[in-house]
Amino acid sequence: MPYKCFNPSNVFDNRNAILSYSISDTVSLTVFNNDMIPHRIGSTELGITSGLIAPGMNETVSIHSAVSGTFIYYDLENYPNNKILGLAGMIVFRNNSLASFYWNLKEIDSLWINNISSNNQLSTEYNPKFFLINGNHNPDINEDSSARVIGNVGDTIYIHIANTGNSIHSIHFHGYHLKIVQSSGHQSHQGRIKDTFPINPMEVLTLELVPHQPGEYPVHDHNLIAVTGANIYPNGMFLTMLIEP
Amino acid sequence: MTTRIIFLILLMASFRSHGQQTVNHQLIARNLGEKAMHDGVVLRTFGFAQSFSEHPPIPGPTLYANEGDSVVLDLFNVSQGAPHTIHLHGLDVNQENDGVPHLSFEVHHMDHGYYYFVAPHPGTYFYHCHVVSTIHVQAGMYGVFIVKPSDGSNTTWDGGFTYDQEKLYTMSEMDPLWHEDSVMEHDHDTSQSIHEVSIPEYHPSYFLVNGQSEQQLLEPDIVLQTAKEEVSFLRMANIGYLANRVTFPEELNAQIISTDGRPIVIPELSDTLWISPGERYGVLIEPTADLIDSIEISYVNMNTLIGENIQYVPVLVSGTSGLNEALIERPFELYPNPSADQFYIKSWGQAYDGIKIYDAMGRLVHVENHNYMDTEKMDINMDVPKGIYTVEILLNQVILDTLKWINR
Repeated sequence: MPYKCFNPSNVFDNRNAILSYSISDTVSLTVFNNDMIPHRIGSTELGITSGLIAPGMNETVSIHSAVSGTFIYYDLENYPNNKILGLAGMIVFRNNSLASFYWNLKEIDSLWINNISSNNQLSTEYNPKFFLINGNHNPDINEDSSARVIGNVGDTIYIHIANTGNSIHSIHFHGYHLKIVQSSGHQSHQGRIKDTFPINPMEVLTLELVPHQPGEYPVHDHNLIAVTGANIYPNGMFLTMLIEP
Repeated sequence: MTTRIIFLILLMASFRSHGQQTVNHQLIARNLGEKAMHDGVVLRTFGFAQSFSEHPPIPGPTLYANEGDSVVLDLFNVSQGAPHTIHLHGLDVNQENDGVPHLSFEVHHMDHGYYYFVAPHPGTYFYHCHVVSTIHVQAGMYGVFIVKPSDGSNTTWDGGFTYDQEKLYTMSEMDPLWHEDSVMEHDHDTSQSIHEVSIPEYHPSYFLVNGQSEQQLLEPDIVLQTAKEEVSFLRMANIGYLANRVTFPEELNAQIISTDGRPIVIPELSDTLWISPGERYGVLIEPTADLIDSIEISYVNMNTLIGENIQYVPVLVSGTSGLNEALIERPFELYPNPSADQFYIKSWGQAYDGIKIYDAMGRLVHVENHNYMDTEKMDINMDVPKGIYTVEILLNQVILDTLKWINR
C-alpha cells in the first residue's frame, strides 16, 4: 500500500528516523522532499515549523531543546492526512548517557491510507488491522536494536514512546513496574509507578526502568486486538525485553 | 538488661502476628462454560472455576493474599482444547512463573501447573490466561488478585488510608461472535510461538461490570451502598478491549489514590477517571450527602475514540454508617437511574397494579395502571423536564414502596 516516511537516506524504509540528541546539542536538520507533493516538517512541542518544501526542494530547520524529553515531529502539511500516510517520527533530547530505547507506535487502516492516497478523503470509521512499533510487528520488532530493550539488573533504562497513530494504546510490561518521567498528555502523572501505560494519539511518554530481576519478559498493548494482525497471534504491538543478571 | 530482653520478645510476637504465611489457591481451567447475559442470551465461555459443580464465573474467583505471603497457585486444566496458563498481571513474578507459553510453561488437559511467588505491594492485580490471550481473555479466562496489607486489615497499604468497606468493579466486554465454536475451538500447535487463528473483528454487544450489565447491575454485590462519612475503597480494573471513562457523582468526593498496585503520591480529587485495558485504580470515596444516583461507566472504542455504551452502577447513600439496612431490604428497584423517559421496575416477584409519579413540588405528573409482576419496562412519554421525581408503587391503592427517579 502507499506509505511515506522521513528516512535518513534516499533508500525508502518504513521506519521514520529516530532523532536522538544530547540536551546541549543544537541540531541543523535538512529535509529533502523526494515526494511528488509538498510537505512541511515541524514539531508542535518544540515550536518548529519549516517552510513549505516543494517536490525536489529542501528546507533546513534548527532544533534545540532546553529540557530533556521525547517529542514528535510530523508533516504539518495536509494534516492529519499526510501524518496518517506515515509521516511522523520522534525526536529525543537526553540529559544523560543512560541506555535509551525508542518506540514509535502506529496503526495501519489500509482503507484510510488508500482513500487518502487516491482522493485525500477520510470517509470511513477508523478500523486499523495492523499495529506497529517502529514500522514493525512481532516478531520482527525484536530485531530492531533501537526498540528491543536489552540490559542488566540494576541498569537505569529510558524508554521513549511516541504515539503517532490515531488510536489509544495501553502498553503493559511483564516483570516490572516503571516510573513515568515525562507524560505530554498528563503532566500530573509524572512520577507514577505503573505496569500499564495508556498513551493517546500524538502524545509521548518517557519511562524509567530499573530491572530488579533477570529474564525475558513481554511488553505489549493490552488492547489485545492490537497484538494480532492478519489472523496471527502474537503479532502487532508485542515484543520482549531481555534482562541479564 | 531486663528491659532489653522484654522488648525483643514483644518485637518477635509482633512479627508473628503479621507474619508471612503460605497461601494456596486452586483454579480449574474449563472451556465449556455458559454465561447468561442480561437479555437471556447464553454464551459459551472459557473460565476459571474452583469446583466442578459450577460453570466458571466471569470474572473468575477473586483471589487474596497479604503482603509478604508466599503464594502457591495450582492451575488444574480440565479442558479438551488448547493448553492454558496463568499470567500474574502486575505482580512482577519471575519469568518462570509469568505464564507466557513460550517463555514459561503451559498446562495441558488434565495436568496441573504450579505458580509460586511472594505477594508484593498491596494492590489490585489481574490473573489471566496468556495462551492466545486475545481469544482466551475474551472467552472469560480472567480474574482479579488482591494483595492486602501485611496485617490483612481494611487499609489500602501499610500506613495508608483505612476504610469501612471495599468494592471491586472489573470492566470487560463480550462479542457473541467470538464465543462461537469456530473461534473458541482454535487450532494450537504448542511447538510454535506464533499462531494462526481466526480472529473476527471486535464488535462487543455486552458491556460488563463484574460480568454483569443492565438490570443485572442491581445485584447487591454490585450496588455501591454506603452512608455519609463512611469510607469505601473502590478497586476498579479494566480487562476489556475498550477504554473506560468512569464518572462519579460529585457528592461521593472520589479521590484517586493508587494505580497498578502502587500509591499515587499526590492523590487526585476527580469525578472522572479513565481506565485503559490492563490498568487498575484505587478510588476512595466518602459521601457528604444522601444520594440515589449511579457511577457512569462509558466504554470507549480505542480506535474511533467514540463511546459505544454506558453502564450504570447504582449508588445508594443513606444516613450514616450502619443505618442503611432498610435500603438493602427494599422490595422494588428502579433502573437505570438516571434515565430518559423510560425505566424498569423490578419487583422481585411482588405483584402491583399501578405507579404514580410526582415531581419535586409534589404534583402528580403521571399515572400507570396495569397488573404487573416482576420486571416491567415503563415508557414515560410525559414530556416533563429533567429532574428528580418520586415514583409510588401501588397495589389496591396502597403504597407498597416509594422510589426516586432522576429524569435526564
